Amino acid sequence: MSRYLIVVPPLTGHINPLAGVAAELTARGHEVEWCGYPDRVRAAAGPAAVVHPCTLPATGELVRPPTLTGPAAFRFLWEDFFVPLAEAMAPAVTDAVRAFRPDAVVTDQHAVAGALVSERLGVPYLTSASTSAELVDPLADLPKVAAWLTDRLAALRREIGDPDATGDPRFSPYGVLAFTSRALIGDTADLPWDRVHLVGPAIAERPGDPDFPWDALDPSRALVLVSLGTANTDAGARFLGEAAAALDLLGERVQGVVADPGGQLTDPPPGVLVRRWVPQFELLGRAAAVVSHGGHNTVCESLWHGLPLVLAPIRDDQPIVARQVAEAGAGVRVRFGKVTAPRLAEALRTVLDDAGGHRAAAVAVGRSLRAAGGRRAAADHLEQLVSAHPVASARR
Amino acid sequence: MTTEATTPTTPVADESTVLARIATLLRELPDAGLEDAEIGRDTLFHDDLELESIDLVSLSGLLREEYGERVNLALFVADLELDEIIELTVGRLADFVVASLRATEES
Repeated sequence: MSRYLIVVPPLTGHINPLAGVAAELTARGHEVEWCGYPDRVRAAAGPAAVVHPCTLPATGELVRPPTLTGPAAFRFLWEDFFVPLAEAMAPAVTDAVRAFRPDAVVTDQHAVAGALVSERLGVPYLTSASTSAELVDPLADLPKVAAWLTDRLAALRREIGDPDATGDPRFSPYGVLAFTSRALIGDTADLPWDRVHLVGPAIAERPGDPDFPWDALDPSRALVLVSLGTANTDAGARFLGEAAAALDLLGERVQGVVADPGGQLTDPPPGVLVRRWVPQFELLGRAAAVVSHGGHNTVCESLWHGLPLVLAPIRDDQPIVARQVAEAGAGVRVRFGKVTAPRLAEALRTVLDDAGGHRAAAVAVGRSLRAAGGRRAAADHLEQLVSAHPVASARR
Repeated sequence: MTTEATTPTTPVADESTVLARIATLLRELPDAGLEDAEIGRDTLFHDDLELESIDLVSLSGLLREEYGERVNLALFVADLELDEIIELTVGRLADFVVASLRATEES
């Protein structure tokens, strides 16, 4: 029996994979507590989750205007969110470690306080990569941008970490849990292999939706789900409109379901089902294809079900994930800001047509994701971490 | 060094010709949706054209096909600071191409 502290930012996509790992650890008899933002954690991990609460930085939650994309979005993400977030979370992480005395910490890559406080207090920790994007060294061709980020991480380390430590806090020297697989990141990516564990998606039990109108779905048509995930509520109005129109164009053969959490589709076409919230995992079990912004969790869950994708990346890791899917042959990408309904309908026809091979490729990637072990493999690595460093908690 | 065997001849590294050529290459980028885009010196690569770093990679290859090895966009981009990448305009790309061509003409 060991004690694990899980440190997460207030971002649903970063919490979900770790909720699966937490459930597995608890089922094995370990004690799990969280450090983060209670509402967000409990929404993913259930109402009984024990959460050491963090304060939000003065800059607040991550809110970016829809037009903020590309390198400007990257600068904002670090300068105005992840760095202040680390400063805001550090005191709570320190208190949580002292109060709970975990045998090991598992911290999201972007909750940098989790890594830096653990190194300062001498607790073994794994970092969690909730997306495959950071693993492929996306800044390799932009050395000055990479140096810009390294400078900021070094400044954070002087402030809240162990000033004598070295290395990138996003990649723990004890190891990295990456919720992806080789088939998705591609053969060419050069990783620090001995410490990056590719465990595939850790899918957690999520509540279904008793009110979802399953009877309204026409089983004779191919089900296509359109979802822009949880973090892009205000960015997607134009795109969702084009997507609904594309589903209408294909209405003879396609039953469209659109997740519209912001309620932005005021007048959707009659044959398309639009809901603020959809039971995504259950829908994927019945779907034939998915249209998404390329969020890593939605992509992995779709591929897990062997579903080909049409991806319209908005920013951050999404262009990289979309490229990985396209290179694996499991989907096609379109331009989020420019794509029109006819073009989107054409992309959907391409992936729905089995002769194109996208479904076969998606099934193959899905197989590799399932084979990677998921939450069980992640829990195995965390147990091994504690057996390799058994006296860590006794020292504190 | 000479690359005459593989390099199409571009007699004069004229700024407006290069700018027009880059605009055409951008309009022809597959799936970029820029067929009808207005592209001038001050057009921002990211904010105005909604292009991504992967598009810079594609453009780098197209420029090499067009002008030969003497135009190495990847090397130029590698030397940019984050703020310079955010503010990258089509005009700055054109200036870089013209400077690369002139450097080889003079040598």
